[in-house]
Amino acid sequence: MALWVDEFRPRSLDNLHYHEGLSARLKSLAASGDFPHMLFYGPSGAGKKTRIACTLRELFGPGVEKLKIDQRVFLSPSKRKLEINIVQSNFHIEITPSEAGNYDRVVIQELLKEIAQTQQVDLNAKQRFKAVIINEADSLSRDAQAALRRTMEKYMSNMRIILCANSTSRLIAPIKSRCLLMRVAAPSFEEMETVLNYVAKRAPFTLPPEAAKKIIDDSGGNLRKAILVLEALKMQSPDLSGPLAIAKPDWETYCHKVADLIVSEQTPARVMEVRAKFYELLSHCIPPTVILKVGHYRLFEFPHLIFE
Amino acid sequence: MLSQGSYKGKGKARSAPYSTEHDERMWTDIYEPTTEAELAVHKRKVEDVRRWLQEAFEGGPSGALKKYRVRDWVSPSGTAKTTTIRVLARDMGFEIMEWRNAVSEGFDTNRSFTDGADASRAWNFDPATEAPFSKFEAFLHRASSCQNLFTSRAGSSSKSQPARHIILLEDLPNILHPGTQAQFHAAIQGLVASSVSNPPVPIVIVISDAGVRGEAGDDRMGARAKASEGVVDVRTALPRDLLGGPYVTQIGFNPIAPTLLTKALQGLLTTHFGGSSQQPPSREMLDAVVESANGDIRSAIMALQFACVVQMVQQGKNKKGSNKGKGKSAVLEAVTRREQSLVLFHLLGKVLYNKRKSDPPSSSATAKDIQKEKAIDVKLKDPPKLPPWFSEHERRTSRVDVDMLYADSPIDSSLFSLYVHQNYPQFTDGVEECEGVADWLSWVDSSGGDAWYQANPHCFHLLALGTLHSLPSPIMRRNQKILKPSFFECLQKEKTAWEGVRDTRGWALGDSIKQGQRRTGWSHADVILELGGVLRARDAVRVTASLPRPPTSHRSFSSLRFVFGTQFGDGLVLDEKEVNPPVEHEEEEEILAARKDVETEGGWLDSDAIEEF
Repeated sequence: MALWVDEFRPRSLDNLHYHEGLSARLKSLAASGDFPHMLFYGPSGAGKKTRIACTLRELFGPGVEKLKIDQRVFLSPSKRKLEINIVQSNFHIEITPSEAGNYDRVVIQELLKEIAQTQQVDLNAKQRFKAVIINEADSLSRDAQAALRRTMEKYMSNMRIILCANSTSRLIAPIKSRCLLMRVAAPSFEEMETVLNYVAKRAPFTLPPEAAKKIIDDSGGNLRKAILVLEALKMQSPDLSGPLAIAKPDWETYCHKVADLIVSEQTPARVMEVRAKFYELLSHCIPPTVILKVGHYRLFEFPHLIFE
Repeated sequence: MLSQGSYKGKGKARSAPYSTEHDERMWTDIYEPTTEAELAVHKRKVEDVRRWLQEAFEGGPSGALKKYRVRDWVSPSGTAKTTTIRVLARDMGFEIMEWRNAVSEGFDTNRSFTDGADASRAWNFDPATEAPFSKFEAFLHRASSCQNLFTSRAGSSSKSQPARHIILLEDLPNILHPGTQAQFHAAIQGLVASSVSNPPVPIVIVISDAGVRGEAGDDRMGARAKASEGVVDVRTALPRDLLGGPYVTQIGFNPIAPTLLTKALQGLLTTHFGGSSQQPPSREMLDAVVESANGDIRSAIMALQFACVVQMVQQGKNKKGSNKGKGKSAVLEAVTRREQSLVLFHLLGKVLYNKRKSDPPSSSATAKDIQKEKAIDVKLKDPPKLPPWFSEHERRTSRVDVDMLYADSPIDSSLFSLYVHQNYPQFTDGVEECEGVADWLSWVDSSGGDAWYQANPHCFHLLALGTLHSLPSPIMRRNQKILKPSFFECLQKEKTAWEGVRDTRGWALGDSIKQGQRRTGWSHADVILELGGVLRARDAVRVTASLPRPPTSHRSFSSLRFVFGTQFGDGLVLDEKEVNPPVEHEEEEEILAARKDVETEGGWLDSDAIEEF
């Protein structure tokens, strides 16, 4: 059984629960026959990838859901082999360039060129072009973005690129200007409540409103997180009644404790200790930006620091 | 002369007065010790080795340990590892079978310890028919299971028991190549597992400790993709389970102590100059050589020989006292300077203790040290007075010469910055000073680009000067211990954690894709940051068919317990004796490979092992 997030994910534009205006626009775009390159951006857990998947289905029909995983080997400039898993259907291909690390440029170039040079052979296909989905586009290196920029112009006739990113700030301007920007905002409280109730109905169980409120407050607009928390809670206490304690993830508690350490004492010895803690966090693969962000938010909670 | 008899005697006979000294070999070869007493190694160590060998042959006091034994010998170069084994071989009457990679080198009959055909033999097989590694394998197999045909015939008259021999692996196959390494491990393991022949054949592996390679920057960038180990050490040479197992003994040799080294060199000089009219080099010359050698006896002897050679020429040319003195010091300079490299420990000490002009001497300083410091202080000029708005940057002149440090540093600047970063807080008195050093460290990191060619060429200087500038002066002595960077440990853990992340992501994505069902991707960050709760809940509930358990490796990233006190860097104290030279192994390997090519082409002609018979 898959995770609820995946199992109950809407699969067509009509079934999406919120941002109806956006869905309508996507629908008409897909029908227009003049589909542009697109860039979906917004906070994580807002539904970007869900919308991309729904748009693809609208464009190509259910055939797009027949996925296969290919392992491809690319050669880095220093002749090192890079093995990358690529998810693809007959109509689209999906890549996460951060998997290629420093060599994302090579991967992007090779892959796009290859796709761009093959014509769609299926005569019954709804569209002449193939779609390329690039996840985590904001982690693309400068080199890769520059490579992408040229490819986007050159192979417009048989390829469309759909980028997915948390923010546009790390994308170079030429790429932004070649795409139709789609902002997927985080869902509101009521929208999230609807979705959680929908999940509960499908699961099926009844979700007490207090529990829903608690989960939503905790999630900070991240629907994926909310549904995951719901699933975890449901597994721990099947009736979801009574006071619910939503445990923070370990790494978050850890970051907070590190911030507390910093506030409570400032000595060279403490510097060493805090550094050891940071190393511990890093060695658990917590992204450094997240560590800094969460730690800082915690620091702001100490009023005497702010008013000083 | 010790070895006149076995020496080839091709040295050109010169009419010069000291023709007898014109043996063209290195002194290290000529005066290689032949008895235990001559060894400059500590007695106890020699005893250790001897005991080990005895146990390996005879099965120990109880006689129960009669099994193949592998012995591993790790220590810095020039600490007489090989010599010890050779001396003991003579002493205890066993032979050494040695593996050599180079094919053309073949059989070396000129070794001074060889008095007949029966001492050391390099086994070589036809290069045309066998790949290098299978040659090695064959060597190992034959050497361990078969008696040496020639020797047993030659020596059987004198020996009542079958000849004992050991296998000496000094020139290992290229185990930096993963494939070869795996083969090598398999070969050794097979040998250990196989039955015992009579008499047992112990294996001695001699490894010169090259230290950790300084490529922190590289590793960081390819943290996920790269897992290469650049250094030949015990862990690469032997499989892990063997290292911990009962068959492997590790014996480390320390660098040779200065007193022992001096004694050995003096003995050597008396032998060398004993019969001739030549002046042996002066005492201070000897001291300088010993000091510069860092406990490496090979390099010490080389330096000594070099010094003596130049001196002789000088003496021959002119006899004027004044000139001679001057030339001598120049020679001394040339001989000792090149070899001198700072031990990492001292490098860090120099920077972190931040000694400045007219610092009070430390409590443990001897009168000589105080004299020395005063002499340095006299040479140092005071800095010009800074204008009032720069007054917070006012410092006394530093006793540390950063240019010299840079020239003598055994590590590259990125590794150096790691060490400084690990250790600076202990040397500061407050967070403000910490901030100063941290500032400089960040500055050095952020100047220059990611790629090597964009790196700031002044990293080392910036780092050393910045650290010196920000640290307090004088430093409070509070028993600081210099620690090794915990960065590498962290990196290692991170690598395992990433595997866990990938496994878990595969689990989250997995099965549905097999069914050809659409599922939008989980990014790595999503898995790390958001999946924790569900994973824990799934671990807690009982397994049912409908709920597949997530891979257990997820705990490497999802479970993080906060403990007070430090977890990293405990007990990783840098030892004074650890030398840590930056060796560019890739380059070295290339050169080696190239050389090997040349050698195989021309090889296997006259220096054949059969030649003798």
